[in-house]
Amino acid sequence: MEGDGGSEIKQWCLSQVKGAIDDDVTEADIISAVEFNHSGELLATGDRGGRIVIFQQEQESKTLAHSRGEYNVYSTFQSHEPEFDYLKSLEIEEKINKIRWLPQKNAAHFLLSTNDKTIKLWKISERDKRPEGYNLKEEDGRYKDPTSVTTLRVPVFQPMDLMVEASPRRVYANAHTYHINSISVNSDNETYLSADDLRINLWHLDFTDRSFNIVDIKPTNMEELTEVITASEFHPLQCNTFVYGSSKGSVRLCDMRAAALCDQHSKLFEEPEDPSARSFFSEIISSVSDVKFSHSGRYMMTRDYLTIKIWDLNMESQPVETYQVHEYLRSKLCSLYENDCIFDKFECCWSHDDSEVMTGSYNNFFRMFGRDGQAGVTLEASWESSSPRCPLRPWRVCAGSRRKEDEIGVDCLDFSRKILHTSWHPQDGIIAMATVNNLYIFQEKLN
Amino acid sequence: MEYKVEAHRIMSISLGKIYNSRVQRGGIKLHKNLLVSLVLRSARQVYLSDYYGGVCLNAQHVEAKEWELMDGDQEKLIPASEESLPSTTACDQTEAAEVPEAPQPEETDSSLAVEGPEDPCEAVEGPEDTSSTEPQAEQESSSSVDSTCDVSVPSPVVSEPQCEAKQATVSSLDCETDANLAMSAEGNSHQPPKAHSCSNRKRSAEKKASHGSPVKRTKVTSSNADEEEAEEMDTSNVSNLITIFGSSFSGLLSKDNSEPEAETDESDSGSGQICCDQMLKNLNPWNTAIVAF
Repeated sequence: MEGDGGSEIKQWCLSQVKGAIDDDVTEADIISAVEFNHSGELLATGDRGGRIVIFQQEQESKTLAHSRGEYNVYSTFQSHEPEFDYLKSLEIEEKINKIRWLPQKNAAHFLLSTNDKTIKLWKISERDKRPEGYNLKEEDGRYKDPTSVTTLRVPVFQPMDLMVEASPRRVYANAHTYHINSISVNSDNETYLSADDLRINLWHLDFTDRSFNIVDIKPTNMEELTEVITASEFHPLQCNTFVYGSSKGSVRLCDMRAAALCDQHSKLFEEPEDPSARSFFSEIISSVSDVKFSHSGRYMMTRDYLTIKIWDLNMESQPVETYQVHEYLRSKLCSLYENDCIFDKFECCWSHDDSEVMTGSYNNFFRMFGRDGQAGVTLEASWESSSPRCPLRPWRVCAGSRRKEDEIGVDCLDFSRKILHTSWHPQDGIIAMATVNNLYIFQEKLN
Repeated sequence: MEYKVEAHRIMSISLGKIYNSRVQRGGIKLHKNLLVSLVLRSARQVYLSDYYGGVCLNAQHVEAKEWELMDGDQEKLIPASEESLPSTTACDQTEAAEVPEAPQPEETDSSLAVEGPEDPCEAVEGPEDTSSTEPQAEQESSSSVDSTCDVSVPSPVVSEPQCEAKQATVSSLDCETDANLAMSAEGNSHQPPKAHSCSNRKRSAEKKASHGSPVKRTKVTSSNADEEEAEEMDTSNVSNLITIFGSSFSGLLSKDNSEPEAETDESDSGSGQICCDQMLKNLNPWNTAIVAF
């Protein structure tokens, strides 16, 4: 953390692995979204089958004083179902694209989940009491014979086994022609935005029958289409500010006070392309796959295929920091294009104190970068080669196909095993990430 | 030469991806298809620029001749015929002189995209020719289409519609969404005015060239005939697809239908139509479905 001189190397330990361990992975089980809630007590995952599984952190363990609580299944529910658009003869996937929690206001928890077309607001509430002592009903629900009732009593609440219920409170539908790629809750806790390839809409949480279009980059003539919106997020503190990343590698910051339609950006964050690095795939790898504000709101991080860039919101001309995630893939772009890996959209996340950033890579590797100038470290999410409470050993990737301890050749990387979705606990050194169908939780080793 | 092979391979892969995206669950993904089209365009440019390297100038093809004839004094038409080789060469030299600042070979070929129905055209045309086409107003290319087609004597019947297709595609190519690329090829003075009227130009050229449905059908048929061999990665087939594809999605419309503002998906369906005969059967319902997208 802060004040330690900054040179302390943090150690990460595997805490838990969730999901089936077998190699046979069904499409529906592939995790497509991972998100901690604002307190970090709950961790939600969404999968391609449209289901959401919420894990809850148990209270701090009494036996292991310095160990943080484990996450156990709290609730499982089907968020989205496959749909069919009859007008266009298109099937709408039920895959959960994004999950975003609302800040907690009462005992219940609320989250927004979205697939390609529809956003839903879910209420997750606990029920640990139930009314007992009805006059006209038996305990099992059967109705009594009214003539057998001789006295009256007031039903009372009696404790029961904890039951967690998830109920859809709002369904925000029919507002997007293209595939929704992002949702973001505003700091005002009343509105949120949803972004598809060409448009961004602003919703009020209470109203499902209307949304305001605030960004529209669809050209009059679709033939002239050159870029699409790839990610969007509200500023964590300023309720009027949001950013959206594009497929061309630029990020635009918009201020909703300036105009109703924010097609004109207030700031444009774009780094000039390095002409010497131009290739067939330059445009693809520059596409922004994720954009995240720092907790402080001063910085913004963008992820493109090969790098992470940290931008100071006050400087648009270039990022203040650039981290190479897997530069060794630059020479492999053609193969990655063939097997479609080049289109993978990696997420990135900030540590709770903005001192580190983390993102996923291939071969179930993930990369952590300390912003104090340290070189990044490559760690592996593997239950086979990690034991709990044992610090993860860093890996190195070298050229060729060498493979030895702690080092692996580029040609040996398994591109079918990738970590696209990651989330960092908002207050603690806990990170969660999804390999194809497993959820990994790592904890920072406390000294 | 390895660039050519690599570019060709990338083009084939890209077309395969676009084709497959149509049957993907969840509908066509706009972002991915846009990226694939950008790669396709880059590969096409490099692919064409290779020819302009002078490697294929010695290729002998009838269509090339025919194109050149049609070109006449325009020197604009893309494929140059053998007979016109001398003039083509001269043209090339002229063009080369005109474009000393071409940043990269690919840039020069921004408008090149249009290739002859068969190999010859690619070989013959130097980037310069196409480049010169770019600054030309669509009217010129359109008129040249008309005139050239009349002039094309030795050309087989098939060539004519292809010729027109070329013209149209040239125009469509000129309509590169990325005007920068186009501009680099020619003197910059030519580009800006043209870039704006690009879509209109393409339309007018297309309509003129099409001469109604018969020509279009012929065009499609011949293209499809070419497409039969697509699996063999015949250069001409890929070229046809590329020309149709044009820049990003613009070229797709020329083949597909008269929908003035075809959506991306329509473009995709257009390319699919060209791609494979089977797709033709599915095209109409697909189009109808996509229109609403």
